[in-house]
Amino acid sequence: MARMKNAHGNRQQNKKRRETLFAYSWSLPSLVLILLIVIFPILYTGYISMTNMNIYHWNNYEFIGLENYKDALLVFDNGFLTALFVTILWTVVNMVLQLVIAFIMATLLNVKGLRLRNVYRTLLIFPWAMPGYVSILLWKTGMFNSQFGLLNQWMIRLGMEPVRWLGSDVIAFISCTTVNLWLALPFMITIIDGALQSVDRSFYESALLDGATWLERTRYITVPMIRPIIAPSVMITTFTTFKQFDVIYLLTQQVGSKTGANIHTILTYAYEKAFITNNYGYSSAISILIFGMLLVFSLVTNGRKEERR
Amino acid sequence: MKNKNQKRIRNRVWAWIVTAGLTIGSLAGCGSQTVEQTAQDEKTDGEVTITIWHDKEDAVTQVLEEKFAQLEPQIHVVLEKKSDLTEALKMVGNDPKAAPDMYFFAHDKIGVYAEMGILSPITDIIPAEELDAYMDNTIEAATYKGTVYQLPIYYETLLFMYNRLYMKDEEVPATTEELYAYMQENTHGGHYGFVEQHSTPYYAAGWINGFGGYILNDAGEPGLNLPETEEALAYHKKFVDLMPGETEYATVNTLFKEGMAHATIAGPWLIPTVRESGMDVGIASMPVIDETGKPIAPYMGVQGAQVLKNAAENKKDAVEQVLRVLMKDEVGIALAQASGCAPARENCYSYEEVSGDEVVMAMKETAENAVPMPNLPEMDVMWTVASGLLTDVNMAGNDVAESAEKAQKEALQLIESMK
Amino acid sequence: MSKKTKHVLVLIAVNVFFILVCFFVLVPVLYAFSVSLNAENSLLGSDFSFLPKHMTLQNYKAVFTEKPVLLWLKNSLILAVSTLVISLGTGIPAAYAFSRKRFPGRKAILKLLILLYAFPSLLSMTALYKLLSPMGLINTRTGLIIVYTGTMAVFALWNMKGYFDTIPVEIEEAAMIDGATQLEQVTKIVLPLAKPTIAVTAMMVLVYVWNEYIFAINFMTGSDTYTLAAGLYSLQATEMSGSWPIFSAASLIVSLPILIVFFALQKNMTEGLTSGGVKG
Repeated sequence: MARMKNAHGNRQQNKKRRETLFAYSWSLPSLVLILLIVIFPILYTGYISMTNMNIYHWNNYEFIGLENYKDALLVFDNGFLTALFVTILWTVVNMVLQLVIAFIMATLLNVKGLRLRNVYRTLLIFPWAMPGYVSILLWKTGMFNSQFGLLNQWMIRLGMEPVRWLGSDVIAFISCTTVNLWLALPFMITIIDGALQSVDRSFYESALLDGATWLERTRYITVPMIRPIIAPSVMITTFTTFKQFDVIYLLTQQVGSKTGANIHTILTYAYEKAFITNNYGYSSAISILIFGMLLVFSLVTNGRKEERR
Repeated sequence: MKNKNQKRIRNRVWAWIVTAGLTIGSLAGCGSQTVEQTAQDEKTDGEVTITIWHDKEDAVTQVLEEKFAQLEPQIHVVLEKKSDLTEALKMVGNDPKAAPDMYFFAHDKIGVYAEMGILSPITDIIPAEELDAYMDNTIEAATYKGTVYQLPIYYETLLFMYNRLYMKDEEVPATTEELYAYMQENTHGGHYGFVEQHSTPYYAAGWINGFGGYILNDAGEPGLNLPETEEALAYHKKFVDLMPGETEYATVNTLFKEGMAHATIAGPWLIPTVRESGMDVGIASMPVIDETGKPIAPYMGVQGAQVLKNAAENKKDAVEQVLRVLMKDEVGIALAQASGCAPARENCYSYEEVSGDEVVMAMKETAENAVPMPNLPEMDVMWTVASGLLTDVNMAGNDVAESAEKAQKEALQLIESMK
Repeated sequence: MSKKTKHVLVLIAVNVFFILVCFFVLVPVLYAFSVSLNAENSLLGSDFSFLPKHMTLQNYKAVFTEKPVLLWLKNSLILAVSTLVISLGTGIPAAYAFSRKRFPGRKAILKLLILLYAFPSLLSMTALYKLLSPMGLINTRTGLIIVYTGTMAVFALWNMKGYFDTIPVEIEEAAMIDGATQLEQVTKIVLPLAKPTIAVTAMMVLVYVWNEYIFAINFMTGSDTYTLAAGLYSLQATEMSGSWPIFSAASLIVSLPILIVFFALQKNMTEGLTSGGVKG
């Protein structure tokens, strides 16, 4: 009896070992790539953050310990706190709008009998197909420009006063959000659209028989069914939204065409306060600190989620 | 049907996996191959390739390509138009595999690259006395900490331009107050008397310099809260109030081009475009600022050739020959004719082709008062800070003294953290 | 009102809605289209109309004749296909392993990977340069392919792993009992069922490679080696030179292949579990 148990245990152990070996060998190429391209730069940045690498010590930089971190703390002032608040607001507003709008669009795309859905889908992903800087440029000059922009030409034609779309904080925030949604929605619609297709129709049929309303069906069938499928993409998009630099910087803060709106995310703030100094040690220290903050932030929210479960 | 589909997918998957294997297998090979190739390029019996990065317009590169052709076949010059040249250069530095041998750019970045240790002094290649043939202020611009790092080719300054359809020659303002009066009279109903990129430091600097203030001085000290600078900002603000809120170049240039703005201060590069659209464009001297009696003094940018250390060490002869081509009067003349560039060589102005060119001569005149852009590394952060200050004052309408104080503090802090 | 007429009305409403939405979404694109048809070099104008007064197709011709667009297209295609192949070739097995196997380090790695997304990558270019340069991979396609695949690897792994998780493991178990090997289980059962996520991942990788220009400009030194996005970036008109109409025309030309591929891949993206064979 005991021997049998032992043999069984051994077999279990063997199987476990085989599985581990299998898993690592199958994922090795992917993990090596990630190690090289994603993790190495982080480690390198960490290393540089402890040197005095700047234009005066470009090739002959040396280790200076935590000196840069001491200076970097200066950046974390009131302005940074405001920027942090704006960044969080920006992330929340963008993610909520993105999910809601994408869900509605995807649902409508799946209306039975919609023949042109493939055409609509393709047209709707156009913003995704263009390089980001081209789109931002088109929005900035083509749409928002207060002298010649299309929006103001339409406003004037409708007998309204022209608006400076990027000129002050609130409206610039709204304009930036619009552009970001425009850029990000195609991906989200595609993801949710795909997820919706995977929901087994028979669930709806029985729910319909039970007399469930559209809202009830959405809440009790659709959302729970698609959540696990879209979760990874949503998580990744949340991080990219948090880190979004181009939209806000190019629309409002670019040197030579600042618009007067004073909206900064932590990245545009750090850029103007540190990265422009060409001091790589110092900038790296700030990057690492921001990274650390985000890590703590996501660990805390992650931990809470797990508790709830 | 389903089965067929699955089979097709399976085939495709196999195709992927096989190709992936092949690609990964060939990765290592590819890398070394390219390196070998470049090495070969340099060896082929005495033939040397000189790669030059630049960001110039086609008219300029055409002239240069033509002139460099005479060095063939011994020296093959490749002009590579590079986007984000300054950033790319910081990254590749002196890496012989990726860095160019020379680059053409304005003089204002030489401080950064000289400190990084990637530039070779021009006087290591061309004897210093031969540089006497250049206009003094261009050589001054090309000098960082006593060493000349750039061989000047041409320089550019902003110019006062007006549309003759609206502003008659006799209406051209001689002073800033006259300009202001003209603006008051003509700015209405979608028309503007005068526009400029008022919140872009490169443009606003003319006003600050004209008041005796500065963004950054020769010692690398910011001067944003100097009384002169603050005075300039406050005075400039009343002009800004009569200009549109948009300040980037596309808006300003389109306003002028479409005849909605009667006059502007802009770079010489605008002239071909507006002439093409049929405008009779006039060029005048900068208005004199009433308060100081000095004209608006814009920044001067000197465009020229910088040599990377690596090239100066390994391809000295070839580099010298390329520079010697650029030192010929005929290059300056050809560039003036092709693209309205004002030659940096004094001698070029004795030729009719140059001295007869309205644009070039206007720049030469403006250049007498113009201030060479600072070439210190500190200037890199000043562009951003000054841009913020101008936006605060001009667009957000904040108090001048307060904003200037804040910007100065920020500038000092940023300069401190460069080290 | 019968059920049928009600449905027809709904369909009409939805169609109208989408036509309007598509129009508004496409306004900036139509703007670019208008600029690209303009005979004059300007990005702005006081009386804009979607069809410019002086119309010409010259700009489109210029893109193909004056600029090395076909060369850039070739470079983009090579990069896109290689990156796609390697991304999926490495990502699918990894995602499968992480979805199906339980092994020490699994949870930690998954968590770590998503946290890596939190790194602000403004500075990582210098680091990557320092990594690739000693290996002689600067100014080579190989270098760019490695960077692109690595950048997309986390997404590929996470996204596909998430979808694999939703595929019931029972089918594979049944197949295993029938004597199918691991590889057969993946290629015969999982992959066909995971078509949507593979298509989405492929699309994502493709769009990324197609539109990426920062690495392409900085790691490739010559304009012959540019990709379409990098070449387009260099065509961007500046204050001093360049042509907006040609740039606009080129932007639209660059976007077109993506749209075509999307249109073609669409069926795969949405052909989900139900149509795949869970039930069948």
